[in-house]
Amino acid sequence: MIQNLLSMNGYGLFVWSSFLITFLACAFVYYKTHKTLKKYEREFAKEINELSIEQKKIVIENSKVASQVLSSYSKTV
Amino acid sequence: MFKLLSLGNIFYWIEKLTKFINSIFFVLLLVALSFALILSPPDYLQGDSVRIMYVHVPSAWIGLASFTSIAFLSIVNFVFKIKNIKLITKSIAPIGLMFTCLAIVTGSLWGQPTWGTWWAWDARITSMLILAVFYIGFISVHKFISEEERANRISSIIAIIGLINVPIIKYSVEWWNTLHQPASIKLIGSSTIHSSMLMPLMLMFFVLLLYCALIFLMKYKTEIIKIKKKNLKRL
Repeated sequence: MIQNLLSMNGYGLFVWSSFLITFLACAFVYYKTHKTLKKYEREFAKEINELSIEQKKIVIENSKVASQVLSSYSKTV
Repeated sequence: MFKLLSLGNIFYWIEKLTKFINSIFFVLLLVALSFALILSPPDYLQGDSVRIMYVHVPSAWIGLASFTSIAFLSIVNFVFKIKNIKLITKSIAPIGLMFTCLAIVTGSLWGQPTWGTWWAWDARITSMLILAVFYIGFISVHKFISEEERANRISSIIAIIGLINVPIIKYSVEWWNTLHQPASIKLIGSSTIHSSMLMPLMLMFFVLLLYCALIFLMKYKTEIIKIKKKNLKRL
């Protein structure tokens, strides 16, 4: 049965290559996108942490994005 | 309404949606792959090579749909100048390019056993290649033009011009004599594909759509953070 699944009556090379290429491309794009997102989150959180206490308070109070990024960043750290 | 559409709220919902998609994605992927590779029957004419359809067709659909949405959103942006739209189009473009390229590559892998050739300058295949070129143009403009307003204007023009290519791709198999087969699935009228193949096809399409949503949400989130980072520097 496994032999049949792999050979696909002679079309195995074409079928498996198509699926493999699709999923390798998808996995690569996912990895790259996730890595870029985490990089920007880290940099953004770092920049907020470098602000003075007063400025930091203003940013967190006025920006939902900043407070969410900070909380998710502190969880990962 | 406008408060709901603020970047802060959008950011919050992106988090929720991403978690939800992550929780169901792998189960659905396994089910879809089982149907596509094992449970669906081989075609009476093409044999098991028909299974390539389960990645080729959804990829082509996503490539086309992404470009169409980018073009229409660009028109809306031209008229109403909504800042959010450029973030959306910028996030969709790389996904569309990837799936257009996948449609071309998997189509080539399907072409070899079916037509006996990897490539033909056939109307459908060539117009898909032109679509990839439009995507590359759109993405390159954002990458290489630093002045944001100019980049947006040029990329919108590219998307709107590229929209002409979309009906050409769709109807190329009817307007010209092509190696590529005519559409088996029609929005209007009855489809000529059996339900035992239609179901896995739709399942794979749904799974790949979920994947697109996941990538889009991550890219959109990155774009929001980039804007917030710029705003922070102004402090």
